[in-house]
Amino acid sequence: MAQPLLVIRDLHAKVEDDDIDILKGVDLVVEPGNVHALMGPNGSGKSTLAKVIAGHPGYEVTSGEVLFQGENLLEMEADERSRAGVFLAFQYPAEIPGVTIANFLRTAVNARAGKGEETDVFAFQATLAEKMALLKMDDSFATRYVNDGFSGGEKKRNEVLQMAVLEPALAVMDETDSGLDIDALQIVSHGVNTLTKADKDLGVLLITHYKRILNYVKPDFVHVMMNGRIVESGGTELADKLEAQGYDWLQEAAAGV
Amino acid sequence: MTQFDFGVFAGGLSEPETFTTHRARAWERYSDAPFPTKKSEEWRYTDISKVDFDTFVAVTPTEALDANLPADVQEVLDQSGERSGIVVQRDGRVAHIELDPKLAAAGVVLCSLQQAAASHAELLERALFAVTPTAAEEKLWTLHLALLTGGYLLYVPKGVELSAPIHSFRTISGPGVLTATHSLVYAETGSKAAVIDEFLSPDLDGEALSLHGATIHGDANAKIEYVALQRYGRGVKHFSTQYIAAQRDAQLVTFNVALGGDVSRSEVNSRLLGPGSNSEMLALWFGDSKQHFDHQTLQHHAAPSARSDLLFKGALTDNASSVFRGVIRVDVGAQLTDAYQTNRNLLLSKGSHATALPNLEIKADDVRCSHGATIGQVDDDQMFYLLSRGLTRQQAERLLVFGFFDEVLGRMPMEGVRERVRHAIEEKIGL
Ligand SMILES: Nc1ncnc2c1ncn2[C@@H]1O[C@H](COP(=O)(O)OP(=O)(O)O)[C@@H](O)[C@H]1O
Ligand SMILES: [Mg+2]
Repeated sequence: MAQPLLVIRDLHAKVEDDDIDILKGVDLVVEPGNVHALMGPNGSGKSTLAKVIAGHPGYEVTSGEVLFQGENLLEMEADERSRAGVFLAFQYPAEIPGVTIANFLRTAVNARAGKGEETDVFAFQATLAEKMALLKMDDSFATRYVNDGFSGGEKKRNEVLQMAVLEPALAVMDETDSGLDIDALQIVSHGVNTLTKADKDLGVLLITHYKRILNYVKPDFVHVMMNGRIVESGGTELADKLEAQGYDWLQEAAAGV
Repeated sequence: MTQFDFGVFAGGLSEPETFTTHRARAWERYSDAPFPTKKSEEWRYTDISKVDFDTFVAVTPTEALDANLPADVQEVLDQSGERSGIVVQRDGRVAHIELDPKLAAAGVVLCSLQQAAASHAELLERALFAVTPTAAEEKLWTLHLALLTGGYLLYVPKGVELSAPIHSFRTISGPGVLTATHSLVYAETGSKAAVIDEFLSPDLDGEALSLHGATIHGDANAKIEYVALQRYGRGVKHFSTQYIAAQRDAQLVTFNVALGGDVSRSEVNSRLLGPGSNSEMLALWFGDSKQHFDHQTLQHHAAPSARSDLLFKGALTDNASSVFRGVIRVDVGAQLTDAYQTNRNLLLSKGSHATALPNLEIKADDVRCSHGATIGQVDDDQMFYLLSRGLTRQQAERLLVFGFFDEVLGRMPMEGVRERVRHAIEEKIGL
């Protein structure tokens, strides 16, 4: 068996200038090609986990380890992690007035290629157009400023567009489904499914509140995070149970920390 | 070093007598005027006490000029789009002028100021020699007039429109050089002019001095775009004083871009002389190492119902520093004035420093005026977002600076002008 894409062992993390851990011992293994759904109530630590994986400087890992393709991810800067193949679709993407999506993504693609191997402008434009079509984004999007004045749905589609262009090995998608109407949800899901189909080794950690997106993007595993830990794991039937019964039945497991 | 002898210098220039007279008068005023010191409000943040102007004056070049286009100029021209004409000034003297023959036939004049002194004496009298500099600028303004060897007149007659800019270049060949040049742009009623004044030199292993003046006149309904693109190499100290006059319904856009040199100071004075006139004042600067940029502005509303809108943005890294000092002045009779002034500064390093001093002097009571200044750092969320897409910190920073500048670039009406400036900034920032 190939080595796991992502291995998280007993991960503890806190906000930089705070004493109390938000993540209180997370364990998770993602194999290449698998889609893991991570569910859990608000405030349970899902976004914190996503940002710690991406290397957000505002969080400090107090113990545990994170391996990406066998490498110690925690020793890498955020930009190195990205170039190594980690992608985070943000729950709340930043707005960058003055920088167009095309310019931004071309810079990101060139950052991967390295000095002297920058992609041809026309080749890049063709790729961008193709990926935008996949996400049913109008051509004019390329010349709009990154997330500036975007609706919630446009921001989420823009996240998936970046994922499509940057072709990561691991995509952590933080509530990419929230705030989307049914049409947008289908477009985003179709985008993700197209990417997983094109890259059989792409691993996805799909963070969500709702079972809704799991009707379109089929997870191989479902996990529940509560109070900074993964308290329950299973298959799609777990998502069904959560939808029917909520999280209350897991309170006991969550409290045992 | 031999003492600079103004009489010998002036006597060696062959020019119309009126020019010589004004030159001598300017020299007299220069000799009498006190040197600007840090004690004055206008010079508090830029110390020129160590600049020995006399040393530079003594080495004004006299040998014959090569009329071929210099390689660095040719390189820029190759990258630039359409143009209506070219002016090249080397070490402060006009070496090359060309103008689209169709425009020449329509009455457009593009010539050296020496030639203009003969052919357009009255215009020079009115538009150039009649300018009264502010007390703070008296010293350098009069020095630039006294030593003026370069400079051009662009005259656009009534109703004639330039569809592409005149691209003017000033080059400095080496240390020890002082250049004194002037850009006189005169757009008659209903005409349209566009000019890029580009300043360039290699990095010098000594000091050179660039004195520049500009007088930009828009008659009724005229449209002018004027760009000063300063991209000198290291070692050059650049001082530019600009007087802009807008008559009834004239639309003037001025854009100062400071990228090069060690010290770069621009004083931009806009005078709204006719109702309905509009002065858009833009500037960008990007400083690294120990570069120092100084921008002093005046939006002077002498007529009612005019508008001025100033947007100056600067980004600094390393130990670079900058000053912005802006005044909105509204005369008693200038009711229904719209005057806006915004200065934004982005500091990329701990060692960089920006100062912003906005001022209002409003004597009319029915006006809309606002001013604002900010000094800030790169936004953490934006930075993390870019890092998370694989940009290095440096690439992210540069992209954010570019984004920060884009608002100003977007306000330049002419595409070719915008692209030239964008390219120069890209080159400086290293995107
Ligand atoms: N930057 C932060 N500063 C302070 N508290 C934080 C910060 N980030 C997360 N937290 C806290 O950590 C807990 C988990 O938050 P988060 O990871 O956003 O949860 P989720 O994404 O599951 O809703 C919450 O109690 C939240 O208030
Ligand atoms: Mg969250």
